Amino acid sequence: MSGANGTRDFDPATRTRGDRVVVIVALLLLATLYGLFWRGDGHGAEAVVLVDGKRWARLNLFQDQELRVPGARGESLIRVQDGQVRFVASPCTTQQCVHQGWLSQGGEVAVCLPNRVSVRILADDPRFDAINF
Amino acid sequence: MNVITARLLTALLLVSLVACERRPPEYHEQLLVFGTVVDVKLYGVDAKRGAPLVAQLAEDFEYMHETWHAWHPGSLGRVNQLLPSGATFAVGPSLLPLIKRSQELSARSGGLFNPAIGKLIALWGFASDEPPSGPPPTEAQIRAILDSKPAMTDLHLDGINIRSDNPAVKLDFGAFAKGYAVDRAIERLREAGIVDAVVNAGGDLRAIGRHGQRPWRIGIRHPRGEGILASVEVEGDESVFTSGDYERYFDWQGKRYDHIIDPRSGRPAKGLSSVTVFADQADLADAAATALFVAGPKDWLPVARAMGVSGVMLVDDAGNVQMTPGIRERIHFEMDEPPPVVISEAL
Repeated sequence: MSGANGTRDFDPATRTRGDRVVVIVALLLLATLYGLFWRGDGHGAEAVVLVDGKRWARLNLFQDQELRVPGARGESLIRVQDGQVRFVASPCTTQQCVHQGWLSQGGEVAVCLPNRVSVRILADDPRFDAINF
Repeated sequence: MNVITARLLTALLLVSLVACERRPPEYHEQLLVFGTVVDVKLYGVDAKRGAPLVAQLAEDFEYMHETWHAWHPGSLGRVNQLLPSGATFAVGPSLLPLIKRSQELSARSGGLFNPAIGKLIALWGFASDEPPSGPPPTEAQIRAILDSKPAMTDLHLDGINIRSDNPAVKLDFGAFAKGYAVDRAIERLREAGIVDAVVNAGGDLRAIGRHGQRPWRIGIRHPRGEGILASVEVEGDESVFTSGDYERYFDWQGKRYDHIIDPRSGRPAKGLSSVTVFADQADLADAAATALFVAGPKDWLPVARAMGVSGVMLVDDAGNVQMTPGIRERIHFEMDEPPPVVISEAL
């Protein structure tokens, strides 16, 4: 079908295999980008680790790993697994940070006060602005 | 691909571009001050304006922490040294309003919120940076303090001067200073022209304004186990404070002793695992959370009414939830299996 101005951009008869590949790649890219950056469910894809209030690391929650974070009293062990993050061990007596368990929702935070280490889930539109505990 | 499809795709692309419009800035900082983690969120404020404001708040919090600390040397430490003498002496200006306000709230709570029981708190080992290692105090030790009935009514203020009738009074504002400090922080933000903000001091917070097009979203942590129990939306000006038996405790010979001491028995309060209080001011919410926790699962309602809080949710030892009717309408449970809920009489 030709447009009024005579262009043949969308004429199926003249579309080459290359055109199709371009369109398919574009659509796939769109879907991927949507999935990566348009997560409206409040889950976070990243977390930030602070030591003494300063940014120490930024973590991709979909890249499983364990971090040894040097704090005021010693090393805190933080684990990232399946889109979640938690304190596994910390050199504090109360172990409150470890008891907080897995964090996954945007805005969730766990802190080891004695060691001055914290981890927080980042999200563009977080599920929670603040957590009451 | 026909024209309609092409036009639809173009329209979709344009819609996506519109969605990329810049959002108003939001300034967020986490401070390790006041012996806890203080989160400050300012909506519609960029870093240039937000950073110096929050730095000022951090200084305020540090100052209040040192001044009001129950067991570190400071203004309150000095007051506690002088009170048992029975002499009249001048109190620092930063401590005076704190003492006055806590006297008022203690009276409203019928003495269940009682910052004069610093000796009991110390006897249990909770007046320390480290959790107590046990053993718990003996009945005789507890009785010795209880019999002398330390209360906020033993303190007599005259201008900037103070005097205590009762040598057993030792002030500990652990159940109150955080709320009072959050109120001061909100005051300072408002003076600086901030309209939309949350100040969250170790999980106890006051929110003003809203988060742009929506209210502030607050998650309430589950007192047992992990994760979020419920969420609630807050806007305008409201404080949400939670006191729980999981915050500070020690175990001794298989028994758990938590940090909220019942001024009537001199022992850790029993029956509840957490109390969440909604109120128009953070200091009231803080004091009331402790008072209701002490009152327990059967007797909290009259105390809540007397103190003038706007809403209550509490979780008892068995995991059952009670809440006031107004809060039931606002609370959204975040668990797969919501707990059993009993709706109380209206406040």
